[in-house]
Amino acid sequence: MMGSEVLLYGYGLVCLSMLGFNILYSLHLRVSDRRLKRRMGDIARLVAAQLAAVQTGQKVGHRHLKEMSRRLSRVNNLLAFDHFLDEQDDEDPVFQSYLRQMQPVFLYLTTVYRRREDMQAAYFCHFLARHQLQRHMQMQQMQPLVASYLEKGSLYCKINALKALCAFGSAETIVQALLQLDKQADGTLHEKVLTETLMAFTGKADMLIGLLWEQFEKFSVPLQRAILDYIRFKSGDYCEQMLAILQDQEQDRELRFAAIRYFGRYPFSPARALLLAFVCDLDPLHWEFTAISASSLARYAGQDVVEALSEAMHSPNWYVRYNAAASLEAHGLAYEDLVGTAVGEDRYAREMLTYRLERRRLAEKEKEAMAGA
Amino acid sequence: MRDFIQFFLLCVECLFILYMAGYASFLFLSVTVGSSDLYAAKRRNLLKNELSNDYYVPVSIIVPAHNEGVTIEATVRSLLALDYKLYEIIVVDDGSTDDTAQVVREAFHMWRINRPIQRRVPCQPEDAVYESREWKVPITLVSKRNGGKADALNMGINVSNYPYFLCIDADSVLQYDSLEKIVRPVLEDPSVVAVGGAVRPCNGAEIDKGRVVRYRMPRKLLPCMQVLEYDRSFLASRILFDKFNGNIIISGAFGLFLKSVVIAAGGYDESTMGEDMELVVKLHVFCREHNRPYRIRYVTDAVCWTQVPERLKDLCKQRRRWHIGLFQSMMKYRNILANPKYGAVSFVSYLYFLIYELFSPYIEIFGLFATLLAFAVDLINVPFMIFFFGIYVAYTAILSLTAFFARVHTIDLNLTVADVLKAVGLCVVEVSCLRFVMAWVRMTALIGYHKKKNVWGRIERQKIEFK
Repeated sequence: MMGSEVLLYGYGLVCLSMLGFNILYSLHLRVSDRRLKRRMGDIARLVAAQLAAVQTGQKVGHRHLKEMSRRLSRVNNLLAFDHFLDEQDDEDPVFQSYLRQMQPVFLYLTTVYRRREDMQAAYFCHFLARHQLQRHMQMQQMQPLVASYLEKGSLYCKINALKALCAFGSAETIVQALLQLDKQADGTLHEKVLTETLMAFTGKADMLIGLLWEQFEKFSVPLQRAILDYIRFKSGDYCEQMLAILQDQEQDRELRFAAIRYFGRYPFSPARALLLAFVCDLDPLHWEFTAISASSLARYAGQDVVEALSEAMHSPNWYVRYNAAASLEAHGLAYEDLVGTAVGEDRYAREMLTYRLERRRLAEKEKEAMAGA
Repeated sequence: MRDFIQFFLLCVECLFILYMAGYASFLFLSVTVGSSDLYAAKRRNLLKNELSNDYYVPVSIIVPAHNEGVTIEATVRSLLALDYKLYEIIVVDDGSTDDTAQVVREAFHMWRINRPIQRRVPCQPEDAVYESREWKVPITLVSKRNGGKADALNMGINVSNYPYFLCIDADSVLQYDSLEKIVRPVLEDPSVVAVGGAVRPCNGAEIDKGRVVRYRMPRKLLPCMQVLEYDRSFLASRILFDKFNGNIIISGAFGLFLKSVVIAAGGYDESTMGEDMELVVKLHVFCREHNRPYRIRYVTDAVCWTQVPERLKDLCKQRRRWHIGLFQSMMKYRNILANPKYGAVSFVSYLYFLIYELFSPYIEIFGLFATLLAFAVDLINVPFMIFFFGIYVAYTAILSLTAFFARVHTIDLNLTVADVLKAVGLCVVEVSCLRFVMAWVRMTALIGYHKKKNVWGRIERQKIEFK
């Protein structure tokens, strides 16, 4: 009996501690907003004195830099400084001059947060990316340090570090960072995340793409896919290279799909024959090539294209029919004619074309209704 | 005879010590892990350790509806208010006898369209398809023959255009950022095939454009007790199971799935009443049998507000239905039990659901009868029994409150003193009374259950206060 009583009391005690923790946390939450405001106020006072000095042509004091290094080493103060920066006028030359002189502080902080737990390190990278401090200061010294944050285990730290590097705008550093990420066993980020992060690159996109292409073969397939997507969004100058990928049957399927999508966005006559061949391919195992090519051919004019797309309307695959119908629609053909001739007696093809036709009518009706309103 | 009863009661005592120790430990562990996870998530958000909303995974939202004329418009409007760009809304009217389809058609200016539907998973045929393109995202309404909720969801899968689908109940409202939050695990880990979100009772909450503008504990006592129960039973345990990829249930009210895997696994099972649990267990089985690396995640900050029953009769109906669904899923996949191939899913999740969910009402009611028997033959220490019961109530109530406050603190809900007092008072009533009523309901749920297959659970709906 005693044993069970001890167990019961033990559990009860732990529960009461949890309840106590809840009450304390509740109180902590109540005061945390006030604390943040107080910290912001402290920082604003410190900075205001320096701004006044900068305005009169003086330099930011050494003691201030030391004080800020000390304060901002604490993540709660960095949070307050983050909010404080939001309230400042970025275009104010005095403030810009102040930030330029703060460079040693940020350099020091980069070494400090590198040693901190992943969550704080990720936040520091977020801070750097968010305020795009490269507009106000030289970042060369800081870049290798920020790149070292990619070695941390946290996914968010890797993403935020990559974002910060993109904000710095150095193409060479980004390529090195991606190679570094690719080497890590757990470094593979979702292609969408990689592409979107690269889209935030503030430097010259052409230069970045050029360097990425030079190193293309060194990247893993998921990263290559992300890079191809990035190129698709940013440049139409890579048709030759994309064609080489498309023609190479040894290449990963996803890379070849990306190349087909590229030709959908940037029509390229040498790719036309290959796209037509894919659309005419009846092998059900190749349906993805057929479906994506059918979609890409929307921007390629010519009777041969219309005939190939009409033929694709008879495909047993739903997606091929759907994309072929959409591309035929983009060619501006009269559906009534197509329903009568091109698709013949094929019920599935007719249904798909009818659906596209009705959707177009629906869109027109809605446009009219909007205009009327 | 007395010796026999004494021996019998000794065996019962041993059994219950083991049972209660197991339950108490699990509850303690789940609430501790759950609460600390919520606090860690709050800090992560504060320090921007999160994916920003620039990354859009295309999602089809499927809303199966049967006689939901009262709530369906508010539900679709809440979906239009989502802070997300790339999604579509598909309402599947499963042979409603009320004006569900008409409400949707008129409220969202929909036009009938001849849309070919690819049958990738089996479902009843459609009667008509309507579309509207004049809103932020495309809305599709499919009116089909009645076939049950699973059948309606399968139709939604067939109609959907995007690689991920999200199922929500027609009486639920999504928080403005819930879609962005529920897709994050997919971006964090490409092996994720399903993600469950947090389902919270919306009774008492006022929601404006997907944002909770005013939150009070529900006025009525029954939904109030369910608020506490949801936090303790669902939130905490699912966070714990998430730690080892062991969640075997994602609420039908709010779950995201990778469509290709669901189709490959055969879609929703129309013969099961708990189609939500059945699908998740099926995904575990499918992925493991095919040696496919997978993760099934649970996220606490993706929130769906749902109406919980306000009447005892409706609550009993809902719980009866849940228990039947649990029974069917557990029986259908009984080969998981003690199967090393399934690892923690078998030895922790399945075992927990078997003992503490499926069998628990029988065990608890048996315990009550054993206590009465012991009392009748004067073989019970009454003061200790009362003390023990008091400890049980206090223990469970404190854990309920811990989970409740952890949630309240971490999502910045402001409660009044009256609400706090209500929560404290009602958690005692919930564990000492409602729990036993529900045990009885669940115990009797399986009587004649096979007659209720493919029937939509009906509870009385209130109009959602959605602006």
